[in-house]
Amino acid sequence: MPVGIAVIAVLVAGCSSNASSTVHLNWNYFFDSVFHPDSQIQNGLWLTVSIAITSQLIGVTLGTFAALAKMAKFRPFRIIANVYIWLFRGTPLVVQIVLFYFGLSVAHIYGWPTINFFGIHIDGAIQAGVFALGVNEGAYFAEIVRAGILAIDPGQMEAAKSLGMTYGQGMRRIVLPQAARVIVPPLGNEFNNMLKTTSLLVLISVPELYTVFNRKQGNYFAPFEFYLAAAVWFLLLTTIWSVIQAWIERKLAKGTAGSANAGPGLMDRLFGRTPAVGEDVPVISGGR
Amino acid sequence: MTLQKPGDLLGAIGGVPMPPNEVVVEAAGVEKWFGRLHVLKGVSMTVKRQEVVVVIGASGSGKTTFIRCMNHLEKIQGGRIFVNGHLIGYREVGGKLVEDREKNIAKQRQEIGMVFQRFNLFPHMTALQNITEAPLLVRKTPQAEAVEMGRALLARVGLSSKENVYPNQLSGGQQQRVAIARALAMKPALMLFDEPTSALDPEMIGEVLEVIKELAREGMTMIVVSHEMGFAREVADRVVMMDDGQIIEEGTPEHFFTSPTHERTKSFLSKIL
Repeated sequence: MPVGIAVIAVLVAGCSSNASSTVHLNWNYFFDSVFHPDSQIQNGLWLTVSIAITSQLIGVTLGTFAALAKMAKFRPFRIIANVYIWLFRGTPLVVQIVLFYFGLSVAHIYGWPTINFFGIHIDGAIQAGVFALGVNEGAYFAEIVRAGILAIDPGQMEAAKSLGMTYGQGMRRIVLPQAARVIVPPLGNEFNNMLKTTSLLVLISVPELYTVFNRKQGNYFAPFEFYLAAAVWFLLLTTIWSVIQAWIERKLAKGTAGSANAGPGLMDRLFGRTPAVGEDVPVISGGR
Repeated sequence: MTLQKPGDLLGAIGGVPMPPNEVVVEAAGVEKWFGRLHVLKGVSMTVKRQEVVVVIGASGSGKTTFIRCMNHLEKIQGGRIFVNGHLIGYREVGGKLVEDREKNIAKQRQEIGMVFQRFNLFPHMTALQNITEAPLLVRKTPQAEAVEMGRALLARVGLSSKENVYPNQLSGGQQQRVAIARALAMKPALMLFDEPTSALDPEMIGEVLEVIKELAREGMTMIVVSHEMGFAREVADRVVMMDDGQIIEEGTPEHFFTSPTHERTKSFLSKIL
């Protein structure tokens, strides 16, 4: 953070020292975009947040099923999960986005028609974008879920089974709720990433936050002012998310030995104090 | 001793279903391999209704593995285990053992309570929820009935005041008493105890043994893996000594105290007594 401030200070200082040259920054572009966002920016914000949430939900769902499939006794499930993870982690997200949108429609495999969802028209590019982001996220999230499940003491599933629960019941009622505590901190990071990664949808002209600012900077030829404003908006989104994430982690910490230490506080989270070794590690095992 | 007089433990669950047959456990020639390691070498054991059997033996002798086979937490490679007349974990197809369907195994386990060395309470649930979870989910017991039974069980193990407390706020002895109550809530016909006191601080062992003794007095059929010879002397009808995957000596607790015959038994007892 201090580094960021320094960089901006240098840039600002740089342009004032160049006052005699032809460079002229129009700070009104920046301040208007931040303090009086027009309807394009507002819509872009809304779209970015809704795309990020929808894609993350798809990712969490797919990732959870992929993790369970990867640990299944039934071999075909394991193969399907492994191939899925291999494909989507092994190719660039950018390629996936354009392949799903342009590739599929030009090849007449799927044309991404506009759909009407409870009176809201959702453009094909948005659908393709959400699909690509969600499926890509699922492949990464599968590993996070799997690690979360493996972190739970096997004695928990044994206790569940000894009480007459099936594997599915034990997973759903005993193991996954505990794994959730382990999964939430990395999930928070994933969603933080997702909020920013939505900007890649500029490639298929989805009018999300970055696309809006990218157009504006071109229209007014003011890249510094508008890109800086875009950065401020993204920073605001991720900051709000940090607050929500800290709140969720505290909620989930009940019943763990680490209740009093449910991850770093907001200030640490924002200004990057590194937790000491052994700190803020969720306690997941059953007995002591 | 923090434990109140437990009173009628089995009364709290309305008594256990009496199996129609006199023999509750019938294990015959059980063989178990972990990879190339032969851990159970043809172990046989019969446990009658209301009998308490204490299994002793050095670590690695296979005693824990043996009782884990009885509710199919471990697969077996040979022999048969019957509990209440059900062949545990397998179906016999043309003289060969084929692993049974998961649903059937889960159903068989409902009749077999198990208490673990490390308690294995569910840390995200309160003491009461730990007890009511399986009756609600598996037996579909109505909520009110399950809660009433859970509270009665907690009272009998002396933990009424801990109903809404999470396991990490309980001492080891308290956790193990909740774990026993949790197993009893399924109204099992057989209870298996896997070294129930060996993860406990010495001052907490008594309160847990007290609950197990009370169960024994009330006629619960039990197999207890334990090195607590004082406890064995008090409650065991029979003590079984295992060594290297086999039962090498079997008899009353008195026999083990006064005249053990096998060399391995003698050296083992001399170490723990």
